[in-house]
Amino acid sequence: MTPVRALENTLSAETVTAGSDAASATSFSAEPMSVLAPVSADEVAEIMKWASREAVGVLPFCGGSRLPAVPEDHPYVAVSTSRLSGVEIYEAADLTVTAGAGTPFTTIDRVLRENRQWAPFNPPRVEDRSLGGLVALGESGSLWMGYGELRNHVLGMTVVTGDGRVLRLGGRVVKNVAGFDLIKPMVGSGGTLAVMTSVCLRAYPEPAVELVLALTAPSIDDLAEAAQRVTTAPVMPASIVLVDGTSKLAGSAGLVLRLHGAPSTVAADRATLEAHVGQLFEEVSTPNALLPDIRDRGADAPCCIEVSAYPSRLADLLGAVSLLDPVGILVDVYAGRARIGLAGTDPDALGRATLQLEAIGGALRVIRAEGPHGSAGVGSDLSPDEADLTDRLRTAFDPAGVMWPARGQRSA
Amino acid sequence: MTCPLAPGIVAALREIVGADHVITDADRLMVYESDGLTQYRVTPRAVVLPASTEEVAGVVRLLHVEGIEIVPRGAGTGLSGGALPTADGVIVGTARMNQIQTIDTANRLARVQPGVINARLTEATQPFGLYYAPDPSSQSTCTLGGNVAENSGGPHCLKYGVTARYVTGLTLVLAGGRVVRLGGAGRAAAPGLDLVGLFVGSEGCFGIATEIEVRLLPVAQGVRTLLGIFDTMEAAGHAVTEIMASGLLPAAVEIVDRATIEAVEASVFAAGYPTDAGAALVIEFDGTEAGLSDDADRAAACCVNAGAREVRRATSEAERVALWKGRKKAFGAMGRIAPDLLVQDATVPRTRLPEVLAQIAAIGEKYQLKIANVFHAGDGNLHPNLLFDRHDPDELASVEAASKAIMQLCVDVGGTITGEHGVGVDKRVYMDLVHNKQELAMLRLVRRVFDPDGLFNPGKVLPDEVEAVPPFAEADSGSSVLEVTT
Repeated sequence: MTPVRALENTLSAETVTAGSDAASATSFSAEPMSVLAPVSADEVAEIMKWASREAVGVLPFCGGSRLPAVPEDHPYVAVSTSRLSGVEIYEAADLTVTAGAGTPFTTIDRVLRENRQWAPFNPPRVEDRSLGGLVALGESGSLWMGYGELRNHVLGMTVVTGDGRVLRLGGRVVKNVAGFDLIKPMVGSGGTLAVMTSVCLRAYPEPAVELVLALTAPSIDDLAEAAQRVTTAPVMPASIVLVDGTSKLAGSAGLVLRLHGAPSTVAADRATLEAHVGQLFEEVSTPNALLPDIRDRGADAPCCIEVSAYPSRLADLLGAVSLLDPVGILVDVYAGRARIGLAGTDPDALGRATLQLEAIGGALRVIRAEGPHGSAGVGSDLSPDEADLTDRLRTAFDPAGVMWPARGQRSA
Repeated sequence: MTCPLAPGIVAALREIVGADHVITDADRLMVYESDGLTQYRVTPRAVVLPASTEEVAGVVRLLHVEGIEIVPRGAGTGLSGGALPTADGVIVGTARMNQIQTIDTANRLARVQPGVINARLTEATQPFGLYYAPDPSSQSTCTLGGNVAENSGGPHCLKYGVTARYVTGLTLVLAGGRVVRLGGAGRAAAPGLDLVGLFVGSEGCFGIATEIEVRLLPVAQGVRTLLGIFDTMEAAGHAVTEIMASGLLPAAVEIVDRATIEAVEASVFAAGYPTDAGAALVIEFDGTEAGLSDDADRAAACCVNAGAREVRRATSEAERVALWKGRKKAFGAMGRIAPDLLVQDATVPRTRLPEVLAQIAAIGEKYQLKIANVFHAGDGNLHPNLLFDRHDPDELASVEAASKAIMQLCVDVGGTITGEHGVGVDKRVYMDLVHNKQELAMLRLVRRVFDPDGLFNPGKVLPDEVEAVPPFAEADSGSSVLEVTT
């Protein structure tokens, strides 16, 4: 009996067949031994125990559009979280919602909106993504300025470690310091530590109104100074982004602000910002068309990178980025962080940009790279100390090293 | 029994930090034998007060070689015994590391040493229109290093979040004296796991933060403060639920109960709260001036709908201070009621507050203990205060039993055993209420990631060494009522 058959015998038939269905919509860089779609944390635990015992890799996924490359010379199973789906507990009055990791984010958004609540995240393609996928990638989007980063909104989660331990981290309350905060490294870990099976999020009341304001100019560089001034204003918009030319702004670059609050509050904030910047903003009349376009800017390019620097070095950051010949730029101004879409992967150019950014205290990370070069060897490194702590932490979660996404990441 | 350090080790420590900054004489060590949780007392072997990252690294390296336990300490205001010495250990205090190194107004960041007092950072940044948001009520004395260790909150974290949201970078001294730099706001795009977030709240068990980069916020244009007076705690609880469900986001929502009001009004801190009230609710909004009065009106209406007999509004800073006084001075006032006070800390889902408070009252009756409640109602963070006399062994036993019953109650309704004070030494025995053996084993593994030999703050957070901790200090002649607020 092959190892994978032994595993299939311990799982329900549906877990195997549903996995095949999930696989049909997914493209893997190397063929998995099997694609499984467990329905519970216990089933995930069985898979992980088997994988650790047999030294078989595990690639967790849901949706599958953002799968990392896997080693071609080693067997692995793909574990879909698609059946770990559905809202488990929604306490509207407590502003908390717990759902399976495979729950489409649109489902959670719909449930919350019915009660005039929301989860203030706006990473790219959010409508195509699962809760677990969002948390695993840890992308907050630009609204973190007004509401905090995604990592601050995750109150609890259930995870299954590489060797099949089921752990409940955190809880369903907004303040909790009962033990070390293992949620923080899980958020954004990209499937390198454990498989998430359920997540509890903090929800927020919907803002009474949203006012979207823009300044436009032929080039993003023309807006850098105004953007910088906004970051030192005495009021803080929920989001400040710089975006290069988009059809929704008539092909112009834009400095786009989102103000949330009561009508009188956002009107006063607008006046304060205009006085501070010394320019009048235009109110965006069709924000529902513009905002998704901005949110996804550059994310679908063949190569997608993220860069950062202190916000005061915005001009330097844009200078480093311009050498890469970008096809889409979205700068979260207050964070000093930008997502850049590139037409292709040029390791030499990326290496030069990395050096430029690191010289000003910044960093560069490749989110996705198509083509023969992939992302190996490109971008900022962990320091030796960070790499050592990271390796030790991974070993604590995954002693046998079966979490496949970790294989593609470098230690310094 | 504490064993003095060998003279050679004392000399080596003095070589590193200077002769005046190693404390070994018994009288001066008494200051360090407990933190804000004075029910536990242990005399350390020595106290070392380094002034820089390099000195901390030297001290830690030496102690590591000698196999001596290290207990990090900020201002010692913690309420869970997180800075309680061990009889085999040395305290490494950060009192001399009190420099604000940079106020970076362009990036709204500050870089500080860990011994900087929380409120001092806000004082230093206010001239630039900025402030540091986390505001534990001990902020006039607690340190930022301690805040990082405990992931401290405060009344205004309802709106602004706790310490972890504001820490962007750390310099750490880890086991063996290794200096490690993590994070930094400019490196937000760098790859890797959130090790900064993991370190925050590690209660001194991973290492010592020697430099901290924190995010600052612009000072709010305006503030509105209300005081709702209720006949019953249940009505006040309903008002909180109604306010939060209405879509309002107050900066703070705090409750004091009748026992607390009586204590405050009978003390020198009398704040003018009616002594026949069942509860008082302090509500504060801040932000853009326009709109604040509307928010305050809506909150006042929620209070009235829930049965408030009166809603007072501050019209000046002096009146605002007065409305807060009954809340902020509550702990000091309790000294009139009993010689000793145990400030408990737990969080429950906000909607469960009314039933939980009723059951806490029943627990008090069962164990014949006076329990006064002062808490952060907006986020369900309870602080039942157990009043007792440590010289009465029966009452001591009742305090322990009642504390356990309260913790069990909070966990049973979906809450947790600590919302902001940390586990320290006090809550270790309750950790198995919220974590199974597998989860506790994982926490131990993660601790070893940073501190393989377990020399940093042993006997804290994890329940494996509970037998090493005395249940309570021997009775002494002093009062343990604390001049702290939470």
